[in-house]
Amino acid sequence: MEFFLSQLQGFGGAFAALVTDPITYPYIIISVFLGIVFGALPGLTATLAVTILTGFFGNKIPLDYALIALLGAYVGAIYGGSYPSILLNIPGTAASAATAMDGHPLAKQGRGAEALGLTTTGSFIGTLIGTAALLVFVWALLLISQSIASPEKALLALFGILLSGTLMSEDLVVKGWIAGLAGLAMAMVGLDPLLSEPRYTFGWSYLLSGFQVVPVLMGAFAIPQIIDGLRQIDAGKVIALKGRILPNLAAIRRHMPTIARSGVIGTGVGALPGVGEDVAGWVSYGVGKSASHDGKNFGKGSIEGLLSSETANNACIGGALIPLLVLGIPGSPPAAALMGAFKINNIIPGPTIDPSIILRVCAIMVLASLTMFIMGLFTARVFIQILRLPQTVFLPVVLILTTIGSFSVGGGINDLYLMLGVGALAYFMNLMRYPIAPLVIGVILGGLFDETFRRSLLLSDGDLSGFFTRPTAAVLLALNVALIAGQLPVVRRTFAKLRTR
Amino acid sequence: MGIEKLQAELDKDLEMLRARDFWGALALICCAVFFLWRTSFIPFLGENRAGVSGAEWYNSAAIVPFGIWFAMLLLGLVLLRIAIKAGGAKRAFSAVGLGWDRQEAIRIGSIAVIMGMFIFALVPRVDFILASGLVITALIYGFHAGRVERMLQSAVAVILPGIYALFMHFPQAEWNKAHDDDWLVMAAWVLLTLWMFAHDRSRIARATPWVAVLTPLILVTAMAFGFRQNVPNRGGLLFSKIEYHYYVTLRPLWRN
Repeated sequence: MEFFLSQLQGFGGAFAALVTDPITYPYIIISVFLGIVFGALPGLTATLAVTILTGFFGNKIPLDYALIALLGAYVGAIYGGSYPSILLNIPGTAASAATAMDGHPLAKQGRGAEALGLTTTGSFIGTLIGTAALLVFVWALLLISQSIASPEKALLALFGILLSGTLMSEDLVVKGWIAGLAGLAMAMVGLDPLLSEPRYTFGWSYLLSGFQVVPVLMGAFAIPQIIDGLRQIDAGKVIALKGRILPNLAAIRRHMPTIARSGVIGTGVGALPGVGEDVAGWVSYGVGKSASHDGKNFGKGSIEGLLSSETANNACIGGALIPLLVLGIPGSPPAAALMGAFKINNIIPGPTIDPSIILRVCAIMVLASLTMFIMGLFTARVFIQILRLPQTVFLPVVLILTTIGSFSVGGGINDLYLMLGVGALAYFMNLMRYPIAPLVIGVILGGLFDETFRRSLLLSDGDLSGFFTRPTAAVLLALNVALIAGQLPVVRRTFAKLRTR
Repeated sequence: MGIEKLQAELDKDLEMLRARDFWGALALICCAVFFLWRTSFIPFLGENRAGVSGAEWYNSAAIVPFGIWFAMLLLGLVLLRIAIKAGGAKRAFSAVGLGWDRQEAIRIGSIAVIMGMFIFALVPRVDFILASGLVITALIYGFHAGRVERMLQSAVAVILPGIYALFMHFPQAEWNKAHDDDWLVMAAWVLLTLWMFAHDRSRIARATPWVAVLTPLILVTAMAFGFRQNVPNRGGLLFSKIEYHYYVTLRPLWRN
């Protein structure tokens, strides 16, 4: 009880500091607005919103304000994806794909305004649930994480890369692992962290400092999106809204158990390294369908279905920040972009993070969700107008944004070459259905894995037993082995046989 | 009937994907072998380096890269096996296997050329506002109607000044040098805009010049004077004038 009270007190202080600072408001309003715009425009994603703003604000303003801009955009973009899902049947972001299942049928029934009111409220409550979980669990996990050493960190980093590769693959799991390893390999470029031995620099001095995070993020997430989106796409007809967008409080009260369950699922999925909001939305939708008495109406305009996915994808944000802040392992692709912002500010998320940053993050999340809620109710028609903008107009603008963003972070042309090179690689990976998120997570966690793995060996004089004699390391090693073994045909056949028995 | 058609389409997609996987796996194996060879250049088993002798295997900077590339090689072989078993090798040279589509190839090729010229030839050398304006105009005009001839026209409009900048000034900012390539980019931009107005009367065409001028102008000025960051080519034709008037004409207004 005392712990919770002290938590609330700390959070209250951070929140008061945030709302009494007048500089907060322009940042939060503009960033949430931009986030919703990015989410609402099919072809732009939450990851791209956070990545582009990282390029702009990452290291140019104090981190306190940069966090407001980035988290505001993150919260706004995940919510913004519901607009085209409901009104066009085109998910604005992958996170809102499940929202389209019931949102669009509702809009076709003339209940579009009601659906938007519900998704706005669901997203708001979902974000608050995720933030509450972050506020409560992050300290317990921080206490645990302070007792972990190099072997555990190495195995955790590897687990994060493998898990995101496993869960983000839409075709073969092998492809997810290849993407993760490609990211790891990219992280090996430059001077090694222990001996300063140059690796794969090919005599190019720019590569001595390794691949910069921001150009890699921009290349991986923006360039394929631009190449793919520059085509004539009939945006479809935006369904006209009847009536005002207001939260249907009676429906919210009636579906509170669904909202609470979806919030918990979203937070839980978010806490898995590198998985993200789209998986959270679908998992919650699936669970909602099987738990509901009205499951047969899912996909035909069910309010329960709508709230299941939309609450979960916003709750996922708080969940995704838990592993990021506690272990330095991003819980979703936008969180990976956020990690990039921490990196360029020389802040290492993990056991040694300043607790005041965590409290500030929670305060920003609450303020961002409030801003999103108010904007969603009062300025929805502005975002609906934005839906009419064709991709071929805004994607060239995104190219210019990413170019100047990449250039300004590193301050050199070489960063642009890197961005274009990574972009080309990511485009071909997309073409062959390799997931991109594991690649980025591999780049971000590669350095951590390399350093901690070698430090473990160095401290034990090459003795590998430390990886399975330490209890936490043994559990993590078992998880890694299980993850790999679970994909072997012989293991899968055995499990299938056991199930049939 | 509808379901059968959908299934046939899915099967065709999977065939194409496995054929691409076949090529992808081969590329990955070659890549892994090449980098394993490059990794062997890093001291591994007790070699001397910078006067320090007897670096142990576990202390080596090569241990993790070796692990990564061996794993890559293994996964490449697994992917190759999956692709061959699914018939990817059989269809590797067929039109289905390559997924060849002329219009799509022109679309991708045009985008690649425009982006490549922008990053490699124009940004390092030409005024950023001019280069961005030309590229935005080229991309909107070339791709919003999805017509092949427009894509090619846009690509040519960017290639010509790009090649000039590349060969005459090998892409690097040269302060206090003639801005011939800046003028050429501006001419290409104006010509492309006029050409667009002659062939396209849509709302998007009318809005394009505004987007093309305002986007880079706002971004560059915000970056340079708001965030005080470096921007490409401060000596460019337009930006040098903007910067001069910012410091000489505008700033004294609020400084004094």
